[in-house]
Amino acid sequence: MMNNTAMSNAWHHSRRGRGHRHKEQDRPNRERAVEQKAEDSVPRGACMTMCPAFELRQREAQNRLHRFEMLAGTERDRLPCADVSRAVKEYSRPAAGKDSTRASDLRPPSVLLKTVCYLVDDIAASSTFQPWTEVYSFVSDRLRSVRQDMIIQRVSGPDCVAVLEKSVRFLLYASYRLCGQPLQYYDPRINDTHLQESLSWLLESYRDGKHRHQEEFQALSLLYNLGSTHALQHVLELPERIRSSPAVQLALAVSRAHSERNPVRLLRLSQRLDFIQVCAVHRHLLPCRRDLLLLYSHGHSSRNCRYPLQRLARLLSLKDPLAAELCRVCGVSVSGEWVSFSKSSFTEAPSGDLQCRRTHEPVDDEQWNCPAGSVIHGCA
Amino acid sequence: MAHITLNQYLQQVLEAIDNRDGPFCAEMLSFKHPHVANPRLQLSSPEEKCQQLLEPPYDEMVAAHLRCTFTVSNHDFVEAYKCQTVVVQSFLRAFQAHKEENWALPIMFAVTLDLRIFANNAEQQLQGKGKGNVGDMLEKAADQLMSCFRVCANDNRTGIDDSKRWGMLFLINQLFKIYFKINKLHLCKPLIRAIESSSMKDEYSTAQRVTYRYYVGRKAMFDSDFKPAEECLSFSFTHCHRSCQRNKRLILIYLLPVKMLLGHMPSHQLLKKYDLMQFADVTKAVREGNLLLLNEALVKHETFFIRCGIFLILEKLKIITYRNLFKKVYHLLRTHQLPLDAFLVSLRMMKVEDVDIDEVQCILANLIYMGHIKGYISHQHQKLVVSKQNPFPPLSSVS
Repeated sequence: MMNNTAMSNAWHHSRRGRGHRHKEQDRPNRERAVEQKAEDSVPRGACMTMCPAFELRQREAQNRLHRFEMLAGTERDRLPCADVSRAVKEYSRPAAGKDSTRASDLRPPSVLLKTVCYLVDDIAASSTFQPWTEVYSFVSDRLRSVRQDMIIQRVSGPDCVAVLEKSVRFLLYASYRLCGQPLQYYDPRINDTHLQESLSWLLESYRDGKHRHQEEFQALSLLYNLGSTHALQHVLELPERIRSSPAVQLALAVSRAHSERNPVRLLRLSQRLDFIQVCAVHRHLLPCRRDLLLLYSHGHSSRNCRYPLQRLARLLSLKDPLAAELCRVCGVSVSGEWVSFSKSSFTEAPSGDLQCRRTHEPVDDEQWNCPAGSVIHGCA
Repeated sequence: MAHITLNQYLQQVLEAIDNRDGPFCAEMLSFKHPHVANPRLQLSSPEEKCQQLLEPPYDEMVAAHLRCTFTVSNHDFVEAYKCQTVVVQSFLRAFQAHKEENWALPIMFAVTLDLRIFANNAEQQLQGKGKGNVGDMLEKAADQLMSCFRVCANDNRTGIDDSKRWGMLFLINQLFKIYFKINKLHLCKPLIRAIESSSMKDEYSTAQRVTYRYYVGRKAMFDSDFKPAEECLSFSFTHCHRSCQRNKRLILIYLLPVKMLLGHMPSHQLLKKYDLMQFADVTKAVREGNLLLLNEALVKHETFFIRCGIFLILEKLKIITYRNLFKKVYHLLRTHQLPLDAFLVSLRMMKVEDVDIDEVQCILANLIYMGHIKGYISHQHQKLVVSKQNPFPPLSSVS
């Protein structure tokens, strides 16, 4: 299934929200007329609430309201009532015969932005909604429907950028907070797909006009896609003004350390990142730590050589016991305060995988309880 | 020839089609041929005349071609592109009706080439007016090329001599040009697969194979597959016609960094001959282990390197530069137990910022891991112990 869609994407490469697919027409005049019509008939939303009235009634009748959308007091009813101020249009797959361009079902850009603010401020950032895995599934689904409305209406400009920036921040934060959760609650691949889609759209939107947070998100994109030539080449081609900003410079330094395969410097630099940047880069940190052990296993491979565990833990930016555990998982032998490297005993595919989640600790302590909203909003 | 009348022109086209004279017919539809500058043929509505003489869909194809010459003479490339789209579409209908024959391939080459060029020009024109998005036109052109490609690729029942599959590589090369231009390299993969799995892949013309390998090499380079990149680009360079100095230079821009990464440094003469002196300092720096000079050279020619998309590859030369620098330290100290401090001093001399002994160990560990140094680090004695035999194996033997 995955393969199939990837293939058809590769063959057709029609661009999201941009122009219609070129259909083969018989006569040039007719073709021109069709193109003209396509330009004129970009749907414009007229729905001023977060959820179109039609969908609201339908989901109410089918008992398909999310509990975050129910009118207080009716949750236990046989058919709970919808709270118009809290219900949000859900994502639904485009399908043959389904008209997704009705004005009354589409929200204009201003409403979309308000919807995103509601999802992030009032739902994701609030401590009243628990558990957060449920918050995530609700918010990420509704954000997806926001993006879908934007695509259908070919929204661009400041509202689009604001929506995408908030979505990216939310998804980055979620990738950190939910790291290690069982697959039924959080699937990193799906989150990654949504994140990459939003990121590439955002970076494309930055091409026109000036944007206050551009530097920040260029840096986040590079950190999240560490090691991707594509992402790096994109940053290199940015205007000097943006490339020389502190955030992008730091991200570039991290990326250089990665391409030079210098995990010591990479881990050191990553301590200078702020919280959301850590969220972005964190999926690369455990592989980077393993890589450090791999290099050291070859570089320090000698029977009568030892390396102090404490020092190694500092290089790995892990607490001593965790560093020792990572060593054992990778086949590096630890005895007391000392580590012995040997290139033959290093194991590439670690058995009894050390969960990434557990390496979060150092930064978690201070940041864990800070409200998610401020992280997702950043300086906005 | 240049000033023939419309009637004469149409007669010639008609004859060429009847005789199945692909090459001549292609000329009659190509913007490389002088007839496109003939004012008698630059017509805004030649449809009726064409219909009188030619059968559908040829009438439509030729009419669109003539309209196209008209729009080009007005420097309206957006319109020209639209006309050329009609040319390609009507050609394709005719082409599909040619069962078990491929005489029309030269026509396809001519009209699709012009299609891409007009898409390019149209895009520039729109950009100049601040309209349209980067790549939109080219992507639409790619869609057209893909529909031609499908017709060619699916023609697998016809005997090899008459197969339309002979058109595949030309189209792929055109598509590569677009995909590289709009930065969608991932779209190349299915095309490469189509050629590599084909039994005809070594039978296409040398020119087409040179272009093909050039792009495949660049793609491999982008994916950090340096060995295959080197093979492809070397093939292109050695088989590229000697009169195509500009193309050879283009190939070298990518071949040089890959070769350097694999340990082969270009000679000064070569760089001079192809006007690639931007690489001179880089080469010198890597050879001498001069990190400082390397960084300076990268900064100095940054714009050129980034535009060519090789900046990242050249940055990877740092690792080899470390190796050459450390080899010098070894030659200076003439011992097999080298204090780590000595390497730290050498890095500081090269103005490597905030470097300390831990990073020295990491760089050394990486070099050992990659096979550039034979030896091990003793942390307790703060020494690098190198092998008595051949501690710095030749670069070409590594990787």
